[in-house]
Amino acid sequence: MWNGIKTLLSGGRSSREVAKGRLHLVLAHDRSGLEGGKLQAMREEIAAVIAKYVPIDSEAVEISIESHSRETQLTVSSPLPARHA
Amino acid sequence: MGRAIVITSGKGGVGKTTAAANLGSALAQLGKSVVLVDADIGLRNLDVVMGLENRIVYHVVDVVRGKCTPAKALIKDRRMDNLWLLPASQTDDKDALTPADMAKLVCELKSNHDFVIIDCPAGIEQGFKNAIAGADEAIVVATPEVSSIRDADRVIGLLAASDIPARLIVNRISPHLVKRGDMLSQADVIEILALELLGTVPLDEHIVATTNKGVPAVIENKSLAAKEFTRISRRLAGLDLEAADTAPGFFARLGRALGLSPAPTT
Repeated sequence: MWNGIKTLLSGGRSSREVAKGRLHLVLAHDRSGLEGGKLQAMREEIAAVIAKYVPIDSEAVEISIESHSRETQLTVSSPLPARHA
Repeated sequence: MGRAIVITSGKGGVGKTTAAANLGSALAQLGKSVVLVDADIGLRNLDVVMGLENRIVYHVVDVVRGKCTPAKALIKDRRMDNLWLLPASQTDDKDALTPADMAKLVCELKSNHDFVIIDCPAGIEQGFKNAIAGADEAIVVATPEVSSIRDADRVIGLLAASDIPARLIVNRISPHLVKRGDMLSQADVIEILALELLGTVPLDEHIVATTNKGVPAVIENKSLAAKEFTRISRRLAGLDLEAADTAPGFFARLGRALGLSPAPTT
C-alpha cells in the first residue's frame, strides 16, 4: 500500500521512471558539453536572428537537447505569429 | 600476446576493485594466466581485497622507475597456479606515473600473460588517463543509481575518444527493488548508456563477507554474485559466446537459483 501512496504522490510515476527521465535529460546536456549559461546565450542569439525576419516574442523561443543511443540533438522551437495580410 | 582490460567507472565505490579481483581470479580458474594491476596510486586496495597485503615488497612505481623488474614485483597468488598481483604504491601520488610508462609496462606484462586486468582509480584525471593508457578494451562498472550512471556515461565518452572498446557490467542490482519500481533495471541502464552488456551482478551480502576475509568470492563460489562473475569471465575468455542480453533473463536465472521457476529443459 505504501508503494501505491508513494506512486500517487509522485504523480503516478515510480522512482525508477523518475530516475530514468532525469538521467535522459542530464546525460543529453552532459554529452553536448554545453553548460546552462552557454545554452541560454545561444537561445538569445538565435531568437534575435529569427526576430530579424519575423516579429516574434523572443521569450517564447525554446531550446532543448535530447540524446538517444549516444546521438545528441539540439532542438530550437519558436512560435510564428499568424500573418495578417 | 595477451589482452589488457581496464576496469573503470568514473564514480568511486561501485565495485571496480571487487570486479577486478573476481574477474581476474575467475579467469585464472579457467586456466588463463592473469596479472592484476592496481593503478590506483596512493589509494591502493586491490591487495587487501585479494588478501595479499602482507606480501608486498615492490610496487608498480618501483617497476616504472627501474628499481626492479616487473617479474620481481609481481606477487604470486598461492591459491591458484596462474594469478599474480602488481600492487600500487601507497606513498606516491598519481603523477608518479605517465600514460607512456603504463602503456610500456602493460605491453611488457601482456607478452607473458593471457590477461592483464587493470583496476582504474575513480575520477577522470591523471590516474584514469594512466590506467587506460595500455588497455586494449574496457569494462565499465555501473550500479543502477543516477550518480553512477552519469559518471559512467562520462567515462564511456572518454574511452570512445581514446578508441578503446567498452562493455558494461551492471553491478549490485536488487531484483526486489526493481520489481517495486524503486531501482533502474538492467534494461534501463543499457538503454540509457547504449553500451554492450557483459553481465549483471546482483547485490549480494556474500561479497561483504568474502571481502572482509580477503578471499575473492569466486574462490568460494557459493554466492549468486560469484556465479555471475564466473559467467562474465567465461564470456571475456570467449568460452561462452552467448550475448549477455539474449541469455536467460537475470530474473529467470535468479528465480531458478531460488527454486521459484523451473530450470530450462535443454
